Amino acid sequence: MSPSPRPELVAEGFTPSRPRWAQLATSADHKDVGRILVCGALGFLFIALVELALMRIQLLVPENTFLDPVTFNRMLSLYGASAIFFFALPLAIGLFYYVAPLQIGARGTALPRLGQTGAALWVAGGVVLYAGFLFTPSEAGVNPLAPLTEKAFLSNNGVDAWATSVGLATLGFVFLSINLVATLRTMRAPGLAWRRLPVFSWAAVVSSWLMVVIGPVLLAALTMLMIDRNYDGIFFADGSGGAPLLWQHLSWIFFTGTYMLILIFAFGAIAEIATAFSRKPLFNRTVVMVSLAAIAVVGTLAWMQNMLTAPIGIGWMYFAMLMSLALIVPFGFVIFNLIATMAGGTLRMRAPLLFALGAIFAISIGLASELCHSLVAAAWKVKNTTDATAATHFALIGGSVFGGFAALHYWFPKMTGRTMGENLARISFWTILVGLLLGFVPLFLAGSEQGQVIDAYKYFAGTGVTTYNVIASIGVFILFVGILLTILNAIFSREGGAEAGHDPWGGETLEWFALSPPEPHNFDILPDVRSPRPLRDIREAVGNRTRRSEQRAARESQPVA
Amino acid sequence: MILIVAVTVALLYVVRRFRSERGAAPRQLLSGRRLQFRVGAVLTFFAALLFVLGIVFTDKAREKPATGDAGLASADSEPLKIKATGQQWLWRYDYPNGAFSYYKLVVPVDTAVELELLSTDVAHTWNVPELARKADAVPGKTNRVLFSTEDEGAFEGDSATLSGQAYAAMRTEVEVVSPEEYEAFVEAQQEDIQSAQDRVVELIENGETP
Repeated sequence: MSPSPRPELVAEGFTPSRPRWAQLATSADHKDVGRILVCGALGFLFIALVELALMRIQLLVPENTFLDPVTFNRMLSLYGASAIFFFALPLAIGLFYYVAPLQIGARGTALPRLGQTGAALWVAGGVVLYAGFLFTPSEAGVNPLAPLTEKAFLSNNGVDAWATSVGLATLGFVFLSINLVATLRTMRAPGLAWRRLPVFSWAAVVSSWLMVVIGPVLLAALTMLMIDRNYDGIFFADGSGGAPLLWQHLSWIFFTGTYMLILIFAFGAIAEIATAFSRKPLFNRTVVMVSLAAIAVVGTLAWMQNMLTAPIGIGWMYFAMLMSLALIVPFGFVIFNLIATMAGGTLRMRAPLLFALGAIFAISIGLASELCHSLVAAAWKVKNTTDATAATHFALIGGSVFGGFAALHYWFPKMTGRTMGENLARISFWTILVGLLLGFVPLFLAGSEQGQVIDAYKYFAGTGVTTYNVIASIGVFILFVGILLTILNAIFSREGGAEAGHDPWGGETLEWFALSPPEPHNFDILPDVRSPRPLRDIREAVGNRTRRSEQRAARESQPVA
Repeated sequence: MILIVAVTVALLYVVRRFRSERGAAPRQLLSGRRLQFRVGAVLTFFAALLFVLGIVFTDKAREKPATGDAGLASADSEPLKIKATGQQWLWRYDYPNGAFSYYKLVVPVDTAVELELLSTDVAHTWNVPELARKADAVPGKTNRVLFSTEDEGAFEGDSATLSGQAYAAMRTEVEVVSPEEYEAFVEAQQEDIQSAQDRVVELIENGETP
């Protein structure tokens, strides 16, 4: 018996039974969950920028008293948590969660309620972080090193609020990642072998596995911290068998893995954009895919690169250096292949490509300076100076702001049905680029030449860093404006952007086969996938069929002699 | 630095050369294995080279300094051991003869000094960039820094790990003096401490609050 096409029920324009917000809040659909994460991430980005700007106002002149030390440390801690746990990670994971199921031609996810719970936990984490602001936020810094976080040194609730908030968010990320791992493992369209997987979806696989590994490490550390603080634990307390260094190991495994996750996300998005906007296939898929996986493994193993001044054995330092330097190979491969993909193509310089190029530029600066921090002897000089601040910001702003915004501009038409304003995007891009360079290049100089220390609430006149800090502050204000422009652009384009249609960029992956925005079930029919570029195959097939039928029609209309 | 320039130049070149306005059809180019192997070989070579250089320079930085002729005679065979303790938000230095000083460390010139870093509360980083490497003072675990210097003078330093409220004000100074002056300083410091101690004991014995 041959399979017969099933009849389809079409119900257009029915009214939802519940208000939109209730629909959104209770939906387990991956698109709704992804939208919550992405919108939330942009909101927290704005808050994080306000905190960064406040810190930069404090650092505008030497020995400023705009913020007192405690307030500064609170801003620093909030900024770190907001930027990493409530902007960079949810933007990456949210876009993975929205796009990857579409890219693999799935009609949903494998464990939708688990993912929904994950997003709810993340929202709860955000609420706790800023509810903590109402009484006392944490004062312990971006990665709050034990034993400063122990009850004896910070006795108010700040650290508890921080740990709860970050813990909830991380648990949420782990849940979302488990769902992504399961979905990408089991729900790929027929014919979509691993080797044909779109690179962004592959980045989602790698990142999700990474989060499943590193998330619990941080959760364990946070649990120990909470036991220490509230139940007389001694995990990180010195003296009675505890080890302050244990916190550093556990937390750096997580933070280093997160750094890699953000870069893997950015490179995955850039790979999609580079292929779509140069109308060329990826230069070498296999190498890029293997490199992304290698970055996740080797990068996370380099966690002790952050501990080169700590009392650990020299052998461990060499191990960290070896792992960090080994990263040159996969990162080099990825960047080489991305540039080679664009070479020889026909580049359409639209906003997504512009942001993607900015991302490669900024990430390469960040990674190159991170190399210096990996050489043990050099790290003994430049570690914990503003040079490190600048290196991290170049890589992570490159990854999550440039890379994230590239992805946002690229998939915005899919998510909303409308494209983001092109002119505003261009203005925003150049403003961010100028802001980033002005804001953080001076910190490189202040750190490596004058040794200005990291995280300090003030500096002293006559130490040669005043000019650098003034320029850096101005740069951050420009950066703030630039990023704000993109957020505004996104808000206004949601309703008022140009109609995009289902495939505005001529993409080659399956998400462009769905409507914009996609129906709740994503696809009416699923095509068989025969290559890494399924949509191109479909276009060619449709084109061929049209041509044939036209030829037939032309033949038939010939007068018969 | 070279890497940044290379990536930027490549980006700019590609963008200028292959703008769609030029109207050429995209070449559906795929890379062969051989090219990727070559790229991989270059990258691996570069990484290996940096690793070897890293070890060489680190070994150099770890070399034990020797005490010279102008240095402290008693530190000839073994470096002068001084304990540095980080505490919120002050550095304390303990000298071999039992004397101690806060904020200011005095060391003899041209002498190998071994600083044993320890913390009594939270993690600190001892940072006198012109003199020695940066190193963490973590409670419960001793970190060692070896240095010697041939110039007399004062060196400014600070702390490089967020340690709480007055972190930015937790500074230190290392004064490098001749061995004689060092001996004199340590003696005087010890006497001062002893006399202060005696005074306190005396006050308590007389029933007064010190």
